[in-house]
Amino acid sequence: MAAVIQLQRQLLDYTTSLYNEAYLDGQFTQLQQLQDESNPDFVVEVVSLFFEDSQRLLDDLTATLNQQVVDFKRVDAHVHQLKGSSSSIGAQRVQRACIVFRNYCEQQNTEGCLKCLQQVKNEYYLVKNKLETLFKLEQQLVAAGGSIPMQ
Amino acid sequence: MGSLLRKISIKYPSFAEYWRTNRRSPQNRRIFCRDAEHGDFHCANAECLSSYYSVFVARLAIMAMLAILIGLLTLLTWHFTKVYTNKSLETLAYGLRYELLQRPILRMWNIFNSTVEITTAQVKLSEFLIKKYGKPVNQAEQVELYQAMKDVTWALFASHKALKSITMNYKNGFVQAFHRDHRSNNTFYIYSDLVNYSISGSYDMNMLSAHRGWNDQSVHNNISAIWFREPLDPLTGEKTGKAMPIPPDDLINIAGISQVPDGVASWHVAVSKYSDSPLLSAALPVLDSSKQKSIVAVVGVTTALYSVGQLMKELVEFHTGHIYLTSREGWLLSTSTDTPLLMNSTTGPKLMMAADSEDVVIRSGAKLLQKSYGSDTPANHTVHIKDAKLGNQLYYIDSFILNLRRLPMVGVIIIPRKYIMGKVDRKAKKTLVILISASLSVLVTGCVFIFILTNGVSKEMKLRAELISHLDARRKAEASSNYKSQFLANMSHELRTPMAAVIGLLDILMCDDCLTNEQYSTITQIRRCSTALLRLLNNILDLSKVESGKLVLELAEFNLEQELEGLVDMFSVQCINHKVEIFLDLSDDIPKLIQGDSGRVVQIFANLISNSIKFTTSGYIVLRGWCQNPNTSRNARQSSFAQTNSISPNKTHDENFYKKDNRLILCFEVDDTGCGIDPSKWESVFESFEQADPSTTRLHGGTGLGLCIVRTLVNQMGGEIKFVNKSGPGSLMQLYLLLRAPIDGTTEHYKLNFPEHNLTVLLALGGKMGRLIMSSWLQQHGISTYEACDWNELTSILQELFQDGSYIQNLPNHSSIAEKHNTGDTRTSTFIIVIDIVLLNLSTGIWKEQISFLDRYRGRAKFAWILNHDTSSNIKKELSKKGHLLMVNRPLYKTKMIQIIESAIRDSELQTKINPLISTVVDREMHECLEMGPIQSEGKLEGNHNTSDGFEKNSSKPFLSPYAAVNNCFVELTEVHSDKNDLRRREQDQRGTSNDIQCLTSSNTRGSQTSLQGLRILLAEDTPVLQRVATIMLEKLGAEVVAVGDGLQVVNALHFVPKPDKYQEDSPQADENPGSQTEESCFSTYDLILMDCQMPKMDGYEATKAIRRSEIGTTWHIPIVALTAHAMSSDEAKCLEVGMDAYLTKPIDRKLMVSTILSLTRRTTI
Repeated sequence: MAAVIQLQRQLLDYTTSLYNEAYLDGQFTQLQQLQDESNPDFVVEVVSLFFEDSQRLLDDLTATLNQQVVDFKRVDAHVHQLKGSSSSIGAQRVQRACIVFRNYCEQQNTEGCLKCLQQVKNEYYLVKNKLETLFKLEQQLVAAGGSIPMQ
Repeated sequence: MGSLLRKISIKYPSFAEYWRTNRRSPQNRRIFCRDAEHGDFHCANAECLSSYYSVFVARLAIMAMLAILIGLLTLLTWHFTKVYTNKSLETLAYGLRYELLQRPILRMWNIFNSTVEITTAQVKLSEFLIKKYGKPVNQAEQVELYQAMKDVTWALFASHKALKSITMNYKNGFVQAFHRDHRSNNTFYIYSDLVNYSISGSYDMNMLSAHRGWNDQSVHNNISAIWFREPLDPLTGEKTGKAMPIPPDDLINIAGISQVPDGVASWHVAVSKYSDSPLLSAALPVLDSSKQKSIVAVVGVTTALYSVGQLMKELVEFHTGHIYLTSREGWLLSTSTDTPLLMNSTTGPKLMMAADSEDVVIRSGAKLLQKSYGSDTPANHTVHIKDAKLGNQLYYIDSFILNLRRLPMVGVIIIPRKYIMGKVDRKAKKTLVILISASLSVLVTGCVFIFILTNGVSKEMKLRAELISHLDARRKAEASSNYKSQFLANMSHELRTPMAAVIGLLDILMCDDCLTNEQYSTITQIRRCSTALLRLLNNILDLSKVESGKLVLELAEFNLEQELEGLVDMFSVQCINHKVEIFLDLSDDIPKLIQGDSGRVVQIFANLISNSIKFTTSGYIVLRGWCQNPNTSRNARQSSFAQTNSISPNKTHDENFYKKDNRLILCFEVDDTGCGIDPSKWESVFESFEQADPSTTRLHGGTGLGLCIVRTLVNQMGGEIKFVNKSGPGSLMQLYLLLRAPIDGTTEHYKLNFPEHNLTVLLALGGKMGRLIMSSWLQQHGISTYEACDWNELTSILQELFQDGSYIQNLPNHSSIAEKHNTGDTRTSTFIIVIDIVLLNLSTGIWKEQISFLDRYRGRAKFAWILNHDTSSNIKKELSKKGHLLMVNRPLYKTKMIQIIESAIRDSELQTKINPLISTVVDREMHECLEMGPIQSEGKLEGNHNTSDGFEKNSSKPFLSPYAAVNNCFVELTEVHSDKNDLRRREQDQRGTSNDIQCLTSSNTRGSQTSLQGLRILLAEDTPVLQRVATIMLEKLGAEVVAVGDGLQVVNALHFVPKPDKYQEDSPQADENPGSQTEESCFSTYDLILMDCQMPKMDGYEATKAIRRSEIGTTWHIPIVALTAHAMSSDEAKCLEVGMDAYLTKPIDRKLMVSTILSLTRRTTI
């Protein structure tokens, strides 16, 4: 039981740190609220959807931006999608990076776009790692027989 | 001139460089300017400075050019004038000199000629005489011959005065000579002693040749010979004195045989002891007539050159200068001066060289000639030396040669330059001085002019530089303002999202059942603050939108009166705390429906009223409105308020325009009794972040954005807003708006026909202003009114009207009071008493007695109560218990009054005509509706809906009243009303209170988790994450969700619903209405579409357009809600333009989504 409590605290601390460091925002909380008995793995499901989608988008973006003639419309559409999905799961740092990215996109600034792409990727991998860690913690907790504490 | 310039530019390469750079520099600057449009301006100052220097250099260069030009001009002028004058003068002078010299030479020539002639004549005569006398044989004959010779010689000598002497030297050594001394004017005859000579001289040639040396010696050195001199009378030749013996050769030169060695004439220049000038002596032999041609005698003639000198002197006296003649060797023969020509030496006087002359000028001139030409004189000996410097003066020296045989002569004339050129030289100097001074003055003036002219240019340059810097500053300012707008636009999303989250989370919290009351109130407070913050944000965003020109006014029909009443209702709640009453006073000529942006119009008034409330602590706030349609004259009542200072647009000019375009000018006044605004601040308060008194921020809060937004909105609607003078305390603000009347022209104002009901209204209202407004309006419509301001007045009026019991009996058959006022028609008279609740003494228990007092009049009059918002429910209960069912909330305005009157009339009609039982039922229901206030609404939502529906059915159907819409204003504040067009979300946000309530109720609804129960929603979203989130969210709320990935699928889903397989694949619940396969039913399978705007294949806009197109011709209209990540109103406008019904921003705010969906679906389901 002590282990469960410790795990719970650890999870709580970790989650709080994610919020404090602005990796996540209220939208994630809302997601968590939407999760209930009927959709027990809702958050994980959505987040993995996000990962898949984002990975695809990022790959696409990399390919598009490495082309000789950059199709900025396409890039913009991709970034817009990424922005939408990241804001939906509350990955606000990715979202912010996307906003900067779009500005460069409007200016048709290839260099800036590439820089931003790197930034977005960084943020994406960061948040991905964080979320994966979070889920791992949750899984451990569930395995230990505890319940996931709500914010 | 061009070549001159080129020369100059070669000479001064640096100057040319300047010139070139200067000429290029303006171009450079222009290019620079163009660049500067894009680039930065940091070097502008440096450029300015350098241009300053370049102006300076250019100025200097131009001045230097001018100086050079003028100098050259001067020099040229001077040069040409001088050279040509000099040349012509020189030619003249040369002629003169030549002429001058020619004359002495001619004289000399004459002298020579005459000398030669005389000599020749003498010789011829001698030859004749000698021949005649033949060979003298004796002394006598000899003497005779000599005598004859003497006579002949005398004749010749006398005839030629210029002759100095004539000598005859005979072979035998006898000498005969005549001599004339010019100085003493004496004439002498000189002869040798005859004794010493043999008569028989050997005349043969041999002897002659043998004795030649001897003979000569005999003439000159014969010491033994004695010569005699005999003075003669110069004229007659008579002997005047005694002959005196003299030594030979003492006086004259006797030409001897040696001088004529070859028997031809010879001449030479000789000197004599007694003459100071050289003599010209000629010698000619007298030949024997015999064959041998031996010389028998030699004739010598000497002439003094004195006369030549004389002539020269005359010439020189007239002209100036010096003339002299020399022999070829340089011996001086004659000069124009008086200096001696001979030099004394030991051997007697001798000729002197010209270079040794005592006259300085001649000496130096001769020396110069000698020096320059040396011995080898030019062939013709003609020399012209100009500007020879002798002593301190310049001279012209010319020499000519007189080439006589045996005696070539050289004439030299020395004339001082001063004589010929003196005046010219002086004039030239003067001219030069004048020219130089003139050119200097021209130069100075030119420089001054250049300075003045270029000064203007440099000023212009300075100004231009300033202009450039100003442009730069302006550009920067514009850029920064642009950045600001952009920043705000970007921030709008970022700011609103957290705020929406905060508010949403608070809503969730408030739904929580386990909150204590304190917590609940705290949360309510937080929510209110958040809403306020959101409102502020919206204000700022509005402002930035207006500034960046992104604000687009929509054009939709709306009911202005209704909107304003809602507004006043809302603010009246706030006013209670301030002890301020708020009134709405709209004139009847305002059309019911108006086209415009209702949200913005309401925003204007909301801002104005909230502003007034903020600064008004007691008194009233009146919102007046009237229509200033050019074709309907303004109401007299309103004009009395505003005639003095009304804003009147250019009526006559625009009349046709407004008429044609269906435009209306709506004038409004917001009149309050607050602290007022100083007239000096009337303009500045409309600036953003500006408040009349900075200290008010502390007192009242606020950012000073409200009025700024108002003004921009008003201006955008083609109106104008300003403060006007007000007599009392407070401020009076007037504005007018240009709005359109509906195009179909349904602007008819409802015509009230109250007079036929014969109404009397007793207004027992606390506020004076409200009473005044209401009574004047009622009177306008032919309703007689009484006014009472407090309880006592009310009772006295009541008692006066219903004096005694007798009246009570009369009541069923309708009152005498009606008879009083309407003499003709007493049948339908109705008495209405409108009582303000504040008239009751609520602090003590007296109010119950007061109510029971009024109860006495119940049968005779209809009571309508004006309640406060905070009127406690037990009072209400008490009132309804007593049968006072007509209750309305403060404030009382036109529509509510109409409502009261309507119900009263209906009541009385029902009472008289129909079964009273039914009437009470209707009454009850209606009353319940009427008494509804925001406070009581909680927890009674369902009931409310029912009643309001019921009311609508019951009230509107039997009467078909034009006031059916009035219901809205009662219900609006209490719930999420189904009829309310929820497109105006923002507007509702600003109505803080109403929003509060609304959210409260909606969260109540949500509490059941199934607020969207039974709704079928088609979700179009391409991002899987969002799709999933939204699906879950909606499903949790009880809705059935079908998610598709793009617009094309949406269109297909709607169109191919009838195909069961595809349909089922998407949503298993689709079997709900399997039977209906008609066109209409296929649309009805979904209650709503949530549409993302940016999607692959077909975006939301396109999909919506397609759907709306397919709906044409059907009665269906499926609600489409846009989901977009953009938060600008332009996006919103675009969404609405393509036919969407509402607009939600991502990330999805649950509350907002629910309310939006509900409002849209309810409309279609009901």
